[in-house]
Amino acid sequence: MDLYKLGKVTWEESQLLYHALAYSGKEALVLLSPSTPYVCIGYHQEADAEVDLSFCETHQIPVFRREVGGGAVYLDGNQFFFQLILKRDNPLIPLRKEVFYQRFLEPVIDTYRQVGVPVEFKPVNDVLAGTRKISGTGVGEIGDCVVFVGNLIFDFNYEMMSKVLKVPDEKFRDKVHKTLQENLTTIRRELEPKKAELWNEFNLNDLLVSQFEKMLGDFQEKKVDESLTSKMDEIATRMFTPEWLHQKGKKQIGRQVKIQTGVNIVQKMHKAPGGLVKATYEVREDRLYDVILSGDFFCYPPDAIGLLETKLEGVHTSELQTILERFYSEQEVETTGLSISDWMMVLNA
Amino acid sequence: MQIQDYNMPDELHYEENHYWVKQEGDLLVIGMDDFAQKMAGEIVYIQLPFEGKKLKKGKKFAQVESGKWLGKVYAPVNGELVESNQELETNPALINSDCYGAGWMYKVRPDDLGEMGDLIQGAAGIEKWVLDDIEKYKQD
Repeated sequence: MDLYKLGKVTWEESQLLYHALAYSGKEALVLLSPSTPYVCIGYHQEADAEVDLSFCETHQIPVFRREVGGGAVYLDGNQFFFQLILKRDNPLIPLRKEVFYQRFLEPVIDTYRQVGVPVEFKPVNDVLAGTRKISGTGVGEIGDCVVFVGNLIFDFNYEMMSKVLKVPDEKFRDKVHKTLQENLTTIRRELEPKKAELWNEFNLNDLLVSQFEKMLGDFQEKKVDESLTSKMDEIATRMFTPEWLHQKGKKQIGRQVKIQTGVNIVQKMHKAPGGLVKATYEVREDRLYDVILSGDFFCYPPDAIGLLETKLEGVHTSELQTILERFYSEQEVETTGLSISDWMMVLNA
Repeated sequence: MQIQDYNMPDELHYEENHYWVKQEGDLLVIGMDDFAQKMAGEIVYIQLPFEGKKLKKGKKFAQVESGKWLGKVYAPVNGELVESNQELETNPALINSDCYGAGWMYKVRPDDLGEMGDLIQGAAGIEKWVLDDIEKYKQD
């Protein structure tokens, strides 16, 4: 199989190359990283709903829609990317998606372990160091190929990631920032400083190549040739347009930011007969944490909402109805025009 | 008809990428079959193209996403899309919970209803096809 070990490239090339290889039907492993940061959104997302486009414009951070699943991410040169392009009929590709990730993340997992970071696979497609995610991955069926993309995260700019996302308010952004730090880690964070210094894009990629070779056989190193460049130019005319970036995506109810599988920050609003209700919270393994409730409804006594927030802490989503019923029956609370079903509208993520 | 772990109604026709097709008057209803939805896992997004879109048999006409995997929906026949299931816009997991009912995906006006004959059909044909796929991927 062909190997493109490119190191730093422009952010545009870092996206165009794998699309070009896939549309050309060429199997390859590509290793690269962008020389400047950018934001990349998943195929099904709405750019304006997911990304703070004016912040990105002010800070000259380009935004790109990939033909791969997953969510919006801030990508920079401290994340080292692998892009594996396989023909659809490659016998190594299993039908079950989870098995695909498990199989093709093995070289990534072995690389982390060789570096000294003990990691495990977590279905569907996460690599975890302890409880923290340490690699982002996704797949797209592009042309007649299946493209698997992901990264080795050497370092991560948590602050910029939380700043480029569109959020309903600054509290939500702070929550995203904090939850990212708690749930996403890096090689630099996991290793002693002196050990981390030993690793860089080149020796990490060497390890990754040797791990992928065990599965895919020997690689032949290639340079990007004229035919690929011309394919990339052709794709650029379609993918670097406002029409492509702003195409209609998945409709969101409220705002939800996925941090890792099973961990989401959610804000939902609902217009109840008694007024607007707003809830912001973290959902971790189907349980609610850090619930903040607000709105313009009438509530007596006024501190009852604070009590309800406490009662909801750690509650499993399947128990919400029961907890709310108990809250209303045990406390002398009056919320005019606001019933349990209204609370369920904002709390059932 | 139950074939191992998969519910595959034998009154339906099937496209080889595991989309079912059912005739309703002069229209065809299309959805993902039980085998495919189980292989995919939780569906998080299904593209609902505009009505009037021309479909070319065997070619991609929409995208579907599960587990950060962006896959393709292939047209089972030549024709024109006349309706998409708008419920899937906010609740694509209906495909997982009820793939032959509330999780239907598209209605298509075929250019030639005779193309239904090219699809996989009949209890014996469906069983052989599904068992072959199970065998092909049993290492999973």
